[in-house]
Amino acid sequence: MAIDTRESVSAEHSGHTAPPVRPTRRRPGWLGPHLGRALVGAVGGYAFGHWIGNVIGSGYINVQGSGQNDVAIVLGLSIGVVGWLAGAGMLDYPLAKIAGREPLPPAPSKSWTRYLGPALDHKVIGLQYTVVVLLFFFTGGLLAMAIRTELLNPTSHVFGPGTYISVVSEHGTIMMMMASSIVIGPLGNWLVPLMIGSRRMAFPRVESFSLWIFAAGYLVILAALPLGGFPTGWTGYAPLQTQATGGMDAYLVGFAVIGIGMICAGFNLLATIINYRAPGMTWSRVPIFVWSVLATAALLTLATPTLVAAGLFGVLDRTAQTAFFVNEHGGSSYLWENLFWFFGHPEVYIMALPGFGIVAEIFPVFTRKPLFGYRIAAAGMIGVALLSFFVWQHHIFQSGINPDMRPLFMLTTELISIPTGFIFLNTMGTLWKAKIRYEVPMLFALAMGFNFLIGGISGVFLSDVPVNVTVHGSFFVLAHFHYTIMGGLVFAFFGGLYYWLPKMTGKMMDRRLGKWHFWAMFIFFNLTFLPLFLVGLLGQPRRVFEYAQNLQTLNDVSSVSAFFLGASFLIFVFNFVKSIFLEPKPAPPNPWNSLGLEWQTPTPVPAYNFARIPVVLADPYHYGTSDGQAVADLGPRTLSLAGVVAPAAGALDAQAVTGEEGSADPRPPIA
Amino acid sequence: MNGGGETHHFRRLGVIWAVLAVAFDLVYYFAIGPHVPPGTLTSTASGAQFDFNILFLVAFPVMAAVWVYWAYALIVWRGSKSDLAEPEGGPKSRGHLGIQVGWIATTTVIVLGVFVFGTVELIVPAGAGGGEGPSPIWTPTSHEVLPIQVIGQQWQFTYRYPTFGGFESRQLMVPAGTTIAFHVTSLDVIHSFWAYQLGVKADANPSVDNVAYTTTKQPGAFTVRCGELCGLWHGAMYNFGKVVPKAQFFVWAQSTEHRSAANTKNLPPFAYTYVPDANGANGGYYPDNVDPYSKVETYGATSPGK
Amino acid sequence: MTTEPVAGSEFIAHEAPTLRETSEEIEYEMRSAEGAMWTGGRLVIGIGAFFFGSLAFAYFYLRSSNNEDLWRPNHITAPTGIGAAVFAFVVASALLYGYGTTRLRAGNTLDWEVTGWVTVLGGFTALGLQVWEFTQLSFFPGSSGYASCFIAWGVMNTALILGGLYWLETLLARWLRLRRAVLDDGGPARSTMPVARLFRANLEGCWYFWGFIAFVNLVFWVLFYVI
Repeated sequence: MAIDTRESVSAEHSGHTAPPVRPTRRRPGWLGPHLGRALVGAVGGYAFGHWIGNVIGSGYINVQGSGQNDVAIVLGLSIGVVGWLAGAGMLDYPLAKIAGREPLPPAPSKSWTRYLGPALDHKVIGLQYTVVVLLFFFTGGLLAMAIRTELLNPTSHVFGPGTYISVVSEHGTIMMMMASSIVIGPLGNWLVPLMIGSRRMAFPRVESFSLWIFAAGYLVILAALPLGGFPTGWTGYAPLQTQATGGMDAYLVGFAVIGIGMICAGFNLLATIINYRAPGMTWSRVPIFVWSVLATAALLTLATPTLVAAGLFGVLDRTAQTAFFVNEHGGSSYLWENLFWFFGHPEVYIMALPGFGIVAEIFPVFTRKPLFGYRIAAAGMIGVALLSFFVWQHHIFQSGINPDMRPLFMLTTELISIPTGFIFLNTMGTLWKAKIRYEVPMLFALAMGFNFLIGGISGVFLSDVPVNVTVHGSFFVLAHFHYTIMGGLVFAFFGGLYYWLPKMTGKMMDRRLGKWHFWAMFIFFNLTFLPLFLVGLLGQPRRVFEYAQNLQTLNDVSSVSAFFLGASFLIFVFNFVKSIFLEPKPAPPNPWNSLGLEWQTPTPVPAYNFARIPVVLADPYHYGTSDGQAVADLGPRTLSLAGVVAPAAGALDAQAVTGEEGSADPRPPIA
Repeated sequence: MNGGGETHHFRRLGVIWAVLAVAFDLVYYFAIGPHVPPGTLTSTASGAQFDFNILFLVAFPVMAAVWVYWAYALIVWRGSKSDLAEPEGGPKSRGHLGIQVGWIATTTVIVLGVFVFGTVELIVPAGAGGGEGPSPIWTPTSHEVLPIQVIGQQWQFTYRYPTFGGFESRQLMVPAGTTIAFHVTSLDVIHSFWAYQLGVKADANPSVDNVAYTTTKQPGAFTVRCGELCGLWHGAMYNFGKVVPKAQFFVWAQSTEHRSAANTKNLPPFAYTYVPDANGANGGYYPDNVDPYSKVETYGATSPGK
Repeated sequence: MTTEPVAGSEFIAHEAPTLRETSEEIEYEMRSAEGAMWTGGRLVIGIGAFFFGSLAFAYFYLRSSNNEDLWRPNHITAPTGIGAAVFAFVVASALLYGYGTTRLRAGNTLDWEVTGWVTVLGGFTALGLQVWEFTQLSFFPGSSGYASCFIAWGVMNTALILGGLYWLETLLARWLRLRRAVLDDGGPARSTMPVARLFRANLEGCWYFWGFIAFVNLVFWVLFYVI
């Protein structure tokens, strides 16, 4: 487009004519890029790749008669992903670019079908992400309930050991993949440009690519089940990894694919936040959610390449027969552990920081007070991001690595609890003498604080090496990270959904159903996972299907609660369908009376976000002051400060805006 | 509702917190602490119990501080439908230097204290029962250390006693009042030797000798579980062991050595690690005519004196 | 990474055709786009650094563990001649391209075009050699730690050079289409046209990336062939 509009604009201003550009051809209708074509591409690509792999591999002794050709599976999955991306139109522009062509401007679609195809509007992509992460989340949740069903009884079994271990591994992997994008994908993409006063993302095509490859990762990791499942859990430790059957290839390819998506998402968000902040949006006025996205995006961009590299080594071990993780051939099983956790620990904070951001964003609105300690909150997030690169060996304290590193990693791990704890300073300070409004988002934010405290403190127990001897690899660890990820991040995510869905969809969620959802989720979450601390302490290792008889009561409490926890999401789904589709209740542009810049836009938010690039005048937290200072100068006719209803998109009188041009622009010149 | 000065709120909060924290810590220390897993069968087990209790005694007041404050705030400072006036904002509510510095200082002191405590408790009891790898740097002071080898394989643990001719047993018998060095290794994938009541956990890696120390106290029974996902039957990979009086142990060990002598002869000679045949015809990585540069052909890679 | 359009005004063109951006806004978005190009170019290097850092970690980890004395038995080495050739081609290409970029800044367009296409050629040669080397190895992939790392290096370096080539080729191809208009506007070094400004930002990022490719090749050439 740069050519299309830019050129004409510059032609007006400097008298040049646009160079002739031959636009790429756009296929009409059903032939164009969309979900269906992507599926066809994925299936075709898999078949093609599998065939090639068979051609390559059939000459080797260790493939012949083994019943398994990893080359075929890896190539099938990889080319399947490429086919999916091609079907989704993700390769159109990169290929046209080889011939030097410029991209076409986006189709001016208002139809709902734009959600099924490639998009450049970050708001469309954000909603697409929402659907995909919920798909991930509910799939993983069903698998979790399958696990809890098996654990109802210590000795009689529902699943065979192979099925059970596949279910456990799928649950872990799917949830980890989901959690790394659950906030960044939907809310990060949807909100960041609006929060920083930008009309666009820096690299919308990279953003769109990240979504579609993320969705491809879902298909790849699900493909592990028909390929025989994999027995390693989400950590994929070698040599079990090298030993496992075809499903393992899906794990490795799937994680690499998701990793590429995470890198792309982080890359785009970093470039956007750094460069597309509106005039006046200084680093001390950036909303705290954007700070959390910034820290997370940095982790996504820099830590994930290690995962992709480790996945590549694993794939090479399984296909080209290298020996990275095979001790007997000069490799080392510790190599995978180190590489995996070098990614894996920043990943843990990828799954925590956005939750902090959401909570810190919700608290001021519903307490009507400024965020306490804004600077320290931002500094804490950056501190966590930096420190998270130096703690990875605490996952392998008992593995037999050199013991002299242990005190050091114990120290860094415990140090990271200091910046992590800042979120409690912020929320507690904000609560001081506040006027708390118990709306649904606030309830979720409060619950996040409650859960994360338990999760965080139990993390200190785990970091203590002597205590770690007992609790490592037990249900104690499991309860710990479910408290931080599910109790922290997922609660924050649902709080964020209830908070921002009125802006995202233009409809209010039902308050009563939201409270039902909250209380069900909060109570049954705690009933599910609190007993598991005890179960772990009493000696039950993770990922087992048999356990001591005396632990049955605790396990059963957890299992039954898990079913109710799962059911609580039905309330959410019901609420969502009812409030958005069946009995839609239009949301005012600023239902929570928030000062956030994203709330100052009309609902629905026009594709260009802001009719005028806003000039930011203050941070969005000056609640409780009587000066009535506006957050930003949004230009003529679009001012909608707290309480003032903004004009709808259709009513935006463009003529009036253009009429201003050249005459009295009230804003200061941009330096 | 919002009445009262800052000191008033602080005083009330402080009193509630102090009473709760002290009361709970006292109850915990005397009533719960002594029963906390993994018990007191060995030095490392009671060490783990002691460390867990100390951490809990520190952690509870911290958690109570947050919870008491939140509960107080949620009740006292809840908004009402009738009173729509906004609370006092302004620069004062955006941050208070003293509180922020105090917070950071307090958490730093707690964290560093926990670190120092943890390090002492790690080093003094010779690694606290965790696997220290092939060359441990924290070793027990006892002159008599009984080595026991733990071999993990899919999906069972076996034990070899090098001081008794290297016989292999599927039952783990341990003498009471003795310092024991567990040499943990694996024949296939990564397992983890988790002798729960002994307070010992060490990963079993193929071709790695992972050493963990503990000193048993009184006789008792314990469970061994695999603590690292090792494949299909990971969930069923467990067995039971016993700490028995020394004399009884020697009787058992010598009779088992004698009884299984024929079997021991067929075993590969005792070694700290066992490398499966890299050059093997069945499932090896190479066709047989290729030299994988391996100096070992089959089990028995190195001698115990390595 | 890629030249992305400035979508803000693009949406305005469709949704509110009469809503014109002020010149200030255009300038602001322009600077943002240039900045994004700058940031993106450096981030790609950061991503690459962690990617290849993982390989370096694997190299040193396996080297120091030397399990079963199989890190590098008999000091096996991949074909030295091919390795040196790959290294030489990559470094020469990068240097040449750097030279071309400075010439472009000085206003000499033709030099940049020629060096650019020669760089593409050199890069493809290096790529071809890197792939061909796989067929000339004197060891099996799983025979040692060194062998494993080397196989991964071959794959990763192929991807790296391919990425650099794609970036450079798209720049050159786009330049062919912009050539006339930009030359009329004072040349690529001075033109104030938005496309020319973005082109310059992109060009610089691409040059840095080629510097990174050369650096990575230097490091791993030393690791695999020299020591």
